[in-house]
Amino acid sequence: MLLEQLLNGLTLGSSYALIALGYTMVYGIIQLINFAHGEIYMIGAFAGLLLVTAFDVNIFVAILGAMVFCMILGMVIERIAYRPLRGKSSRLSALISAIGVSIFLSTLMVLIRGTNTTRYPEDIIHQTTYTIGSIDISSLQIVILLLSACLMIALQLMIRRTRIGKAMRACSQDLDAAALMGINVNRIIAFTFAVGSALAAAGGVMVAVYYNALWPYMGTMAGLKAFCAAVLGGIGSIPGAMLGGLSLGVMEIMGVAYISSSYKDAIAFAVLILVLLIRPQGILGQKISKKV
Amino acid sequence: MKKNVMKKMVLLLCLAFMMCVVAGCGGEATGDQPGVTDEPGATSGDVIKLGYLGAKTGAVANYGIPAEKGMIMAIEEINAAGGVLGMQLEGIYEDNKGETSEIATITQKYITRDKVAALVGDPCTGLTIAAAKIAQDNEIVLFSGGATGTGVVEVGDYIFRNTLLDAYAGPIVVDWMINEQGWTDVAVITSMNNGYSTALTPVFVDAINAAGGNIVIEESVNDGDIDYTAQVTNIKNADPDVIVFTGYYTEAALIMAEVQKKGMDINMIGGDGLYGLDLGKLGGSAVENKVMFYCGFSSDTPSPETAAFIEAYRARWNEDPDMFSAQYYDAVNILAYAMTEANSADPKVFKDYIATLDNYPGVSGATTIDSETREPRKGTVFLQTPVQNPEALEGWEFKLVEAIEVEV
Amino acid sequence: MDAFLSQYIDPYYLRIMILIGINLILVLGLNIITGVTGQLSMGHAGFMSLGAYTSAILSVQFGTPFVVSLLAGAMVAVVFGFVIGIPTLRLEGDYLAMVTIGFAEIVRVFFLNFKPGGKAVGLSGIPQETNFALVWVLVIIIIYFNYRLLNSRTGRALFAIREDEIAAESSGINISKLKVMAFVIGAFLGGLGGGLYAHYMYYISPQDFGFMKSIELLNMVVLGGMGSIPGAILGTTVLTLAPELLRVVAEYRLLFYGALLVILMIFRPNGLLGDVRWYDIRQRLFKRHQSERG
Repeated sequence: MLLEQLLNGLTLGSSYALIALGYTMVYGIIQLINFAHGEIYMIGAFAGLLLVTAFDVNIFVAILGAMVFCMILGMVIERIAYRPLRGKSSRLSALISAIGVSIFLSTLMVLIRGTNTTRYPEDIIHQTTYTIGSIDISSLQIVILLLSACLMIALQLMIRRTRIGKAMRACSQDLDAAALMGINVNRIIAFTFAVGSALAAAGGVMVAVYYNALWPYMGTMAGLKAFCAAVLGGIGSIPGAMLGGLSLGVMEIMGVAYISSSYKDAIAFAVLILVLLIRPQGILGQKISKKV
Repeated sequence: MKKNVMKKMVLLLCLAFMMCVVAGCGGEATGDQPGVTDEPGATSGDVIKLGYLGAKTGAVANYGIPAEKGMIMAIEEINAAGGVLGMQLEGIYEDNKGETSEIATITQKYITRDKVAALVGDPCTGLTIAAAKIAQDNEIVLFSGGATGTGVVEVGDYIFRNTLLDAYAGPIVVDWMINEQGWTDVAVITSMNNGYSTALTPVFVDAINAAGGNIVIEESVNDGDIDYTAQVTNIKNADPDVIVFTGYYTEAALIMAEVQKKGMDINMIGGDGLYGLDLGKLGGSAVENKVMFYCGFSSDTPSPETAAFIEAYRARWNEDPDMFSAQYYDAVNILAYAMTEANSADPKVFKDYIATLDNYPGVSGATTIDSETREPRKGTVFLQTPVQNPEALEGWEFKLVEAIEVEV
Repeated sequence: MDAFLSQYIDPYYLRIMILIGINLILVLGLNIITGVTGQLSMGHAGFMSLGAYTSAILSVQFGTPFVVSLLAGAMVAVVFGFVIGIPTLRLEGDYLAMVTIGFAEIVRVFFLNFKPGGKAVGLSGIPQETNFALVWVLVIIIIYFNYRLLNSRTGRALFAIREDEIAAESSGINISKLKVMAFVIGAFLGGLGGGLYAHYMYYISPQDFGFMKSIELLNMVVLGGMGSIPGAILGTTVLTLAPELLRVVAEYRLLFYGALLVILMIFRPNGLLGDVRWYDIRQRLFKRHQSERG
C-alpha cells in the first residue's frame, strides 16, 4: 500500500516536475512568473491529440510534434506579450501580461472546441499491468517516469555542457553583463521559452494519455501546482524544480492516503508553507545575500 | 515645463478614457434593446423575452452549453408554431462563467434592461439561489432546469424548478442496490467543490444507513482533478461491493478508468449528474454496463415526447441531448404553456399557472408541481447505464437497467 | 435609500456601481500590501472569504446586527493578516506569493469542508444590508484614511520598504513592524469588503473566493499603477466595467479581456496611473493658485 501510493505520487509528481521546469527556467533568467505556462501545457496536450486523431501518428511522434508546436507558440508569446515590457516596467506588469495571455489562450481553446473533457483513443498505447510483490505498476507509468527522467537529464546536460546552456546560465546571473559579453540576450530568452514550452507540451501529452483526460482548463490548476513545486524546490534551480515537483506529488498522494482526501490541497499547501518557513529559499535554492 | 505639460496630457488622456468607459456603458446597453417599455416584466410589442442563466465558459460550462442548446431549440420550435399569445419568444443568452457576482449582475440586467418575462436556469443550485432572490424581489418568474439542492423554491413564490428531486429518487435506488443486488458494503465518493455532490451525498448516506447497508469508506475528490489514484487505492483496500459517486459524469468516468487500471471489477451508482454521453466517451470500457445512474427519463425506452425531442435535437445540433438540454427545453415549454393558459405574459399572472401544473408531459418526464411545496414531482425513476453502439450518433447511448415507479 | 435611487438610476447600473465600490475597498487593501509595501500577495481572496463567511454566519445563524457581523468578519481577517504577515519577515518575493496562495487555498478548502458554511453548496439567506450609500460612504472614508496614511511618515516608510528594504532598514525604519502592519490593514479591508459582498449577494460559496479572484484583484492594483490611490480607483473601475462592456462581443468576451490586459500593460507598463506624480501636479496647481493670488 505504501509503495503503491508512493508510485502514484511519483507519477503525479513527475508531471508537475515537467511543468515546473519551464517555470523555473524562465524565472531563472528574467524573474517572470510565466502564468501562461499552464496553458501551453494544455495546448501541448491538444496538439498531440490533433496529431493522433487527424494524422494517425504514433504517440511518441505526437509528443515530438506537440513539443515543436509549443516551442513556436512559446516564442511567439514571448515576442508579443513579454518582450515589449522587458526593462521598462516592474516584474508585476509582466505578470499581469502573462495572466492576460493565460485567459486568452484558455478561452481560445474553449471557442475552438467547447469545454468538455476528452481523451486520447483507448488503443494509443499498449498497456499492461505488472504486479511486483504487492504493488501494481502499469507499463504507462514506467514510460512516463522514464521519459520524464530522460527529458530532465537531457535538459541538465544541455545547460551544463553546451555553449547555449552556458549562455543561459550567464543570462540568469546577470542579464546586462551577459549582453556586454556579446550574448544575444533576446535570442537566449526566446530559446529559454522554447525549451520550457516544449517540456510543458511533453508533460501535457503524457498526463492526458495517462489520466485519460484533457480539457481547456486543465492548465490553470496544473500551472498553479507547478509554480508551487518550482518555489518549493527553490525557484530558478533546475534540480530544485524536479525535486519540488516530485515531492509535491508525493505529498498530495500521501495526504489523501493517510490523512484525509477532503483536505487534499490544504495539506499539500500547509506542508509547503512549513517547508518555506524553515528554508525560505526553497529546498535547493541558493541563499542570495543581499548587496547593499 | 515641457515635462509637466506631458504629465497633464497623460492625466487628461486617462480621464478621457475613463469617461469613454463610463459613457460606453450607458450607450451600448441602451442601444441593445430599442423600443423597450419601462415597466419591468412587461413585454414590448410582439416579443416575449426569456433570459438564459448558465455558464458558457468556466468550470461548469459543460452543463450550461447543452442547456443553452435545449433552450434555443424550444424557442425556435415555439416560434415556428406561431409563438405564444401571438407574440414571438426571444431568448437572451449571457454567459455567467459560473460565478455568483456575474449571475447576480446578469439577472439584474435581464430584468431591468432587457425586461424579460421569465428567467430559465441555472444548472447549479447555489447560483440559482443568488439569481432567485433578485427575481423574487423584482417579481419575475425564475424557472430552473437543473438546481436540485435545497433552498431554491423556498426563496419565494416566483421560483420554480423542473428536476428529479434526489430526496425522492435516492432512497429508491439505494433500496434497489442493497436489497435487489445485494451490494451492502458501499464506498461513497463526494466531489468536495461541487454543490450538487455535497448535497446528494447525505441523501445517499442516510438512505444506505436506513436500508441496512454498510459504508466501508468515504472519499473525496474535486471537480477538475485529474489524479484519482490515491483515492482509488484506498477504496481498493477497503474492498467494497459497490461505489456510490454523487458528482458529475466527467469525474465519474475518470474515477472508473482508474478503477479499471487497478484491476477492480466493481459497479458505480450515481445520480442524474452522471447523465452525459461524455461518461461513455471518456470512460470507455471502464464504464460500459458498470456505471448506473438514475434519471427522470430514458432515451432507451422513450415516451413519445422524449423520442421526438431526441430526434429533433440530433437534427438541429448533430449531437445527443443531455439532461440539462432536456430540462431547459421543458422549462421554456412549461413557461409558454403557462402563459398560454393564463392568457398573459405577466409573471404576476402566469406564475399561478405554473404552480398548478399537473402531469405535464415534458421530454424529461411527466412533471407535476406540488401545490403546497411548489416542488416538482416525477412519476418514474429510470436506472440506466452507458453502452457502446457504433450506430449511435456519438458511438454511445444509454441502456435502461430498471424502471422504478415512485410513490409521490 | 437604494429604492429611492433606483427611481432615477437603472438598478443594473446601481448594482455595477456597488460592485465597483466593494472591489475598491478590497483593492485599496491589497494596494497597501502589494502596491505600497511591495509584498506580493496572491491570496487576497482568502481575507475576503474569511470576512464574508464570518459575517454571514454570524448574521444568519446568530442574528447579530449587521455592523457587528461586518466588524467581526473584518477582525477575523485581521487575525489571519497578522499571522500571514509574520512569514513576510523571513520570505520575500515569490516565496511570499507562494505562502499567500497557499493561505487562500487552505481557507477555501476549509470552507469547502465547513458544515455551518454549507460546504460547496454555499450559504444563502444572508440579509441584504449592503447598499449604495453605505458602500460609497465607506469607500470615501477609506480613501481619506489611505491618503492620510500614505502621506504620513509611516506611509513614506512603507514606500521605502518597497523601493529598497536594506536602505529602509538602515534609515532606522522598523521594517518588521511595518510589513506586518501593512498585512493587518490590508486584511482588515479585505475582510470588510468580503462582509459587504456577502451581505449584498445574499448567497456565497467557497468558489467565489478562489485563486482567480485573488488574481483579479491583483490585476486591478497593478493595472491602475502600483501604490497609487487614483490608480487603484481607475484600475478597479476599468476592470469591473470591462466584462460588462465586453458583453457586446458575446462569447469572445474573455478573449478580449485577456488581450486587453496584455495590450494595456504593453502601452502603460507601469500601470495606467503608475508614473503620474500626483504630488508634483498638486504642488504645481497649488503654487500657481498662490502666485495668482499673490
